[in-house]
Amino acid sequence: MAEQPIEPIHQFRITNLFDIGTFGGNGTEGSGTHLAFTNSALFMVLTVGLILAFLILGSNRRAIIPGRMQLMAEMTYEFVANMVRDTTGTEGMKFFPLVASLFLFVLVANLFGMFPYFFTVTSHLIVTVMLALIVFLTVVIYGFYKNGPRFLKVFVPSGIPWYIIWIVVPIEVLSFLSRPVSHSLRLWGNVLAGHIVLKVFGGMVVALLAAGAWGVVSILPFGMAVAMTGLEVLVAALQAFVFAVLTCVYLHDAMHPGH
Amino acid sequence: MSEPRDDKRPEPGSDAHRATADLEARIARARGQRAAEAVPEQTRTGDLSGLSRGFRLGSEFVAAIIVGAGLGYLVDMFLPTRPWGLVVLLLLGFAAGVVNVVRATAQMNAATAVPKTTPALPDDEDD
Repeated sequence: MAEQPIEPIHQFRITNLFDIGTFGGNGTEGSGTHLAFTNSALFMVLTVGLILAFLILGSNRRAIIPGRMQLMAEMTYEFVANMVRDTTGTEGMKFFPLVASLFLFVLVANLFGMFPYFFTVTSHLIVTVMLALIVFLTVVIYGFYKNGPRFLKVFVPSGIPWYIIWIVVPIEVLSFLSRPVSHSLRLWGNVLAGHIVLKVFGGMVVALLAAGAWGVVSILPFGMAVAMTGLEVLVAALQAFVFAVLTCVYLHDAMHPGH
Repeated sequence: MSEPRDDKRPEPGSDAHRATADLEARIARARGQRAAEAVPEQTRTGDLSGLSRGFRLGSEFVAAIIVGAGLGYLVDMFLPTRPWGLVVLLLLGFAAGVVNVVRATAQMNAATAVPKTTPALPDDEDD
């Protein structure tokens, strides 16, 4: 490892584990859509698998007096259910499956990323953008389905005089359109930045140890790496929570347009 | 793990029965409490650490500007309005970013109500 240049970005590289095949295109090199099972896909499957195993193990006994696994599953349910109820009201509970799935997926994917040599699914913008788009499209489609044209009231804050409306509405439209962007950028940015910083401090330890007498100083970046690891675990959980809470906030708007 | 699934009603008089005898009443009471807590209308963001609060506000602001600039660029690409689409929509995006930040801050303040007795800023005239 020491000869190889330290590259903090290398951990985010996507590799094909096995090819599925090429679809479409005219058979020449580079045409059509090439599908492969990548390390990112592997860790998504592992994430979903772990969540499923946890919930199935936790719920298969269904004892009146819960055991440890069942208690953990029930506490997870209660935590997400309270979050949904607090933010969107009781009628928001119809979105509980969506919010719980997103929360658990992001949480487990983030925490998987804290293991050395594991791939972090949420460190790729495309993944977080798709998650944010699921929420955005749910809000738009459900908002129009539930409220009809009255959903457009999200763009018109109440109590605004008519001569200001024409400047407020475009601002509100842009503000609404910026939601999926900030929703996805925040999660991705936090995870990416944290992992790069960890790798940089780790690389400093290696570089200093290789530099002879200067190796004594390597205790400093090592301490930072240890501290950052703790912080990153916190960030991993916190960002999953923030992602889920903002999902609830946006869903609240779909049910109650107009501020 | 090897015990049989326990979903039968426990025998009357057993420990398990005593522990669960008033379970239905307790569930009903808890349901009543939850309804009585009268879900507040305001949205709540929960407690966030300072770091994530900063990240939240920063990304809210930047996202609106990115969207404004992107939309303006697209408008100019398809309409002969260059460069006014970009200019106007970038400015609107800036305004929307400020609106986002104000709204997010209001939400956070509503979530963690600032106590009225917060001491004023420390004044420098003591020393």
